[in-house]
Amino acid sequence: MPFKRYVEIGRVALVNYGKDYGRLVVIVDVVDQNRALVDAPNIVRGQMNFKRLSLTDIKIDIPRLPKKKTLIAAMEAADVQNKWENSSWGRKLIVQKRRAALNDFDRFKVMLARIKRGGAIQQELAKLKKQNTS
Amino acid sequence: MKTILSTDMMEIPEGVTVRVKAKVVEVEGPRGKLTRNFKHLNLDFQLIEGGRKLKVDAWFGSRKTTAAIRTAISHVQNLITGVTKGYRYKMRFVYAHFPINASITNNNSSIEIRNFLGEKKVRKVDMLEGVKIVRSEKVKDELVLDGNDIELVSRSAALINQKCHVKNKDIRKFLDGIYVSEKGTIVEE
Repeated sequence: MPFKRYVEIGRVALVNYGKDYGRLVVIVDVVDQNRALVDAPNIVRGQMNFKRLSLTDIKIDIPRLPKKKTLIAAMEAADVQNKWENSSWGRKLIVQKRRAALNDFDRFKVMLARIKRGGAIQQELAKLKKQNTS
Repeated sequence: MKTILSTDMMEIPEGVTVRVKAKVVEVEGPRGKLTRNFKHLNLDFQLIEGGRKLKVDAWFGSRKTTAAIRTAISHVQNLITGVTKGYRYKMRFVYAHFPINASITNNNSSIEIRNFLGEKKVRKVDMLEGVKIVRSEKVKDELVLDGNDIELVSRSAALINQKCHVKNKDIRKFLDGIYVSEKGTIVEE
């Protein structure tokens, strides 16, 4: 019930609205009750409303308002990108992107694969049912 | 203005277990169990240090929500003393000429009041749940109300008091009634 992810300097957040949708950013300073100064390796540092951010579990160790170089070094040291891609949230986003980028032939292949998987499951289920009744 | 975070903590004494889930606080102790529902408040309740302390937070609270933190803690403290020491409210009969005649019925859970100001009307007051009423033996014209929940005990006392209001008279002169004389606990220290 208590909150575990706090808005603090160094908190990594995901942008969920706007031009940089889907990008991971780091909270570098807090402007006021509603806005934060936010930075990432390939954007210009700028302010963003907290409503546009979803906080993640990842936090890195930086001083307030670090230079771009120190920010990038700290992100490498904390291995943010890998941690994100291995977390369940990050993996789900990657899968969503992959599915959205399928073309018709890919979707056909997926359909065949699902039918094959369903068939294998039904075969196992039939075997178990036979074991139970016998 | 909204204060980002205001928080307060309280110690829970030994012998008392407190459980809190979804703003419903349940306190258990030697005298029994009491629960209280704080769902009307915008506060976070959490037990820390393995149940030894209760922490109450208000995030982005206005002045009123911040004020509610301390009242919630006071309510929980009352639950804890209710469950360890219990509450005893004593009431005295006050009359100038007509002796108030009170009889306890229903195995100590209701009271009948006769001859208040010489009136023929019999006033019957049922005590709320968990509250026992008894006429004090050694002291003349005294009632003792016992219970675990301070809200119920004090409300029963108020019900008795309100049944004996004087009507259509100068109340500065006609001072008759049954008044709360002492608010204390059952187990003295």
